[in-house]
Amino acid sequence: MKKCIVLFAVLLLLTTFVWAGGQGEAAVEEDATAVEAEGPVSIDFWTTQTQSDRMATIQVLIDTFEALNPNISINLVAVDENEMATQINTAAAAGTLPGMIESAAENAVAFGSEGLLNEQAITKVINDIGKEKFYAGTLRLNETASKGSYYAVPFHGWVQGLWYRSDWFEEAGLNPPSTWEDIRKAAEYFYQPDENQYGILVGTKAEAYAEQCFTQIAMANGAQLFNADGSLIFNSPEMQEAVEYYTKLAEFTPPGPQSWRARDYYLQGKMAMFFYSTYIMDDLALEENAADSLSSENFADLEGKSFDPQLVQNTRLAATISNTQDAGYGTIVSFGIPAHGDQQKIDAAQRFIKYLFTPNAYITWLHMAPGGMNPVLKDIATNARFQNDPKGIFQHYGAEKMAEIIQGLDAIETFSIVEGKRMAAASTIYSKQIIPQMIYKITQEGMSVEKAMDWAENEMRKVM
Amino acid sequence: MKLLQLNTAEGLDLRQREILLGWSMVIPSVLIILSLILYPIMYNIYLSFFDVQPLAANTYIGLENHKNVVLDPGFWNALVTTIIYVVFTTLGTTMMGLFVALVMNQEFPLRSLARSLILFPYIAPVISVVFSWQFIFDPVNGIFMDITYERLGLFASRFNLIGSPSTAVWVAVVFSIWKNFPFSYLMILSRLQAIDHNLYEAAEMDGASGWQKFRFITLPEVYFVMGAIILLRMIWNFNKFEEVFLLTENVRVLSVYTYFKAFVGTMELGQGASLAVIQFLLLLGFILFYIKRVLKW
Repeated sequence: MKKCIVLFAVLLLLTTFVWAGGQGEAAVEEDATAVEAEGPVSIDFWTTQTQSDRMATIQVLIDTFEALNPNISINLVAVDENEMATQINTAAAAGTLPGMIESAAENAVAFGSEGLLNEQAITKVINDIGKEKFYAGTLRLNETASKGSYYAVPFHGWVQGLWYRSDWFEEAGLNPPSTWEDIRKAAEYFYQPDENQYGILVGTKAEAYAEQCFTQIAMANGAQLFNADGSLIFNSPEMQEAVEYYTKLAEFTPPGPQSWRARDYYLQGKMAMFFYSTYIMDDLALEENAADSLSSENFADLEGKSFDPQLVQNTRLAATISNTQDAGYGTIVSFGIPAHGDQQKIDAAQRFIKYLFTPNAYITWLHMAPGGMNPVLKDIATNARFQNDPKGIFQHYGAEKMAEIIQGLDAIETFSIVEGKRMAAASTIYSKQIIPQMIYKITQEGMSVEKAMDWAENEMRKVM
Repeated sequence: MKLLQLNTAEGLDLRQREILLGWSMVIPSVLIILSLILYPIMYNIYLSFFDVQPLAANTYIGLENHKNVVLDPGFWNALVTTIIYVVFTTLGTTMMGLFVALVMNQEFPLRSLARSLILFPYIAPVISVVFSWQFIFDPVNGIFMDITYERLGLFASRFNLIGSPSTAVWVAVVFSIWKNFPFSYLMILSRLQAIDHNLYEAAEMDGASGWQKFRFITLPEVYFVMGAIILLRMIWNFNKFEEVFLLTENVRVLSVYTYFKAFVGTMELGQGASLAVIQFLLLLGFILFYIKRVLKW
């Protein structure tokens, strides 16, 4: 018995070793070019809107589109944003790329520079819609290294900032948290773990959220991943200061690795400040949206608070953070057409994307999360129907505040554009989540800042 | 060749027909096993000698992947974590299963109800119990901190038991014991029920104490069933992924470590393949040792 197994294992190893010792495996990618006659075509659409109510709304849009285009059927697949890179890389390797994806522009650029997206197909969509109709800044975040060519088309976007309890700040006589110094002071002041109250939420789990918080803080200190020549300048004094400052802030967050989900503690009145996108606006204003963050109904004895109708009035947003310079941050969410080479599927995806940009479909989509999903087309932003959202968010916050947020989309800065030049490697670094892993190592595993930064720099060089 | 002669089976004698029948019956399952189990294993071993690029040609690099894996301290941490996880969960589930089985073998009212309720953790879907556990150990809102810190004052401050890398492995161990002991319990109980009562009666006549009855009758009777359960549990938990990964990503047992190495961040697919091979060999070695020494086959 034993001899048999050992012999078998040895044989197995030997044969594969010999087999492997041959030559490198040839790449199996081959373009399927044949354009078939107009026939029924089915494409997968990977969306990052994983919540069931949002998927239901998108499905309604798909059903309408399919009724208008009986030859095309679209299959909606939910993919978590944090999983997108893994999923698309494995799909590419397996030759099962979807017909269309929705992802953060940063990820789209990373995928595009790896050759996973079809630039011509999507640039054509942008030109058909009319380049001048877009906010220029949102297009720029999707541009390839050559001007006028794009990896993906922007569709909606959000602005990030530090949301804070203005009533607590006033009571304590503290400045609004928009400079490094004021944020640190306030975080320390409100951090009272004995009372189960925390100063601030910054991401400490190795996920995209940590990178989003960190980017704005680092940019406020003028720290960059790359200089304009395209060489990596991660290990700079500015960056080190930013990492040290971030580590300090992490001391005032709730214990253990935390992610965006911990915004619940704010809604329960247990936290003074948290980094979040404008997606929070409806959670703050509407009780039904806040409900799943509140626990008092099921656990009356726990110190969870019930919905606080005053919270929306007592919450303000510091959209710009500054130390040596001002920094705003946000994310543009874009559509890309993967490079699968099937012309019929490309046509179908192009047609569907153009349909989603028609006013009715577009406004229906954006109204899934008013405040969180903001238009990238100028004439939609001023459209009366768009401003009259069913959840009443525009009324709640006022059209002026909303216009300010939408304007903010045009001014988003990221590590991947330096002095107008595209740094594709920065997008790859984003998509590989190197910075979040570094933050996790420092805040949770107790690695020193220097050591963790060396580790991160090393990882960055590996993917460049 | 014999298969080709299916149509001309008339010309065969009885023995040859038996052989033919035997082969034709096992061939379908052999094919399934070859394509779904053996092929992936072989392909994985093959890949472990390459620098694997999902979108470009693979380059043959010999033992480079294996070398990189073994020289990485992360691998050794993962191995130690895996050993801790496997040893404690196996001991825990077996002892707990034995204890509960002994209790449930006694006569008491509502015994059959209790017997079926005990199976609950084992049959509940892992994802839903994982969420409950995460909620229980939430540092700010969880009931664990509420009781131990707020009400009893056992700790100096609130902490994230399930999230912190240093404590998470123990939560994963306790979770696994709680989730999987009913399997051991079920197996041991069914063996206990088959023990001949005459043995106990005879022992009582000879004046054996409760402990002696357990030590010299019960234990030898359940020895092999426990041996098999321990072996299965070790194999299962050595390869365990979903229970650990869903509960907390911070417990880097080998399977979770391999997942992160292969699919997250810089995506070292070749090293991932190499890790899987190493894990396979470790497990194979252990199984051979165990079968020889403990199960005495």
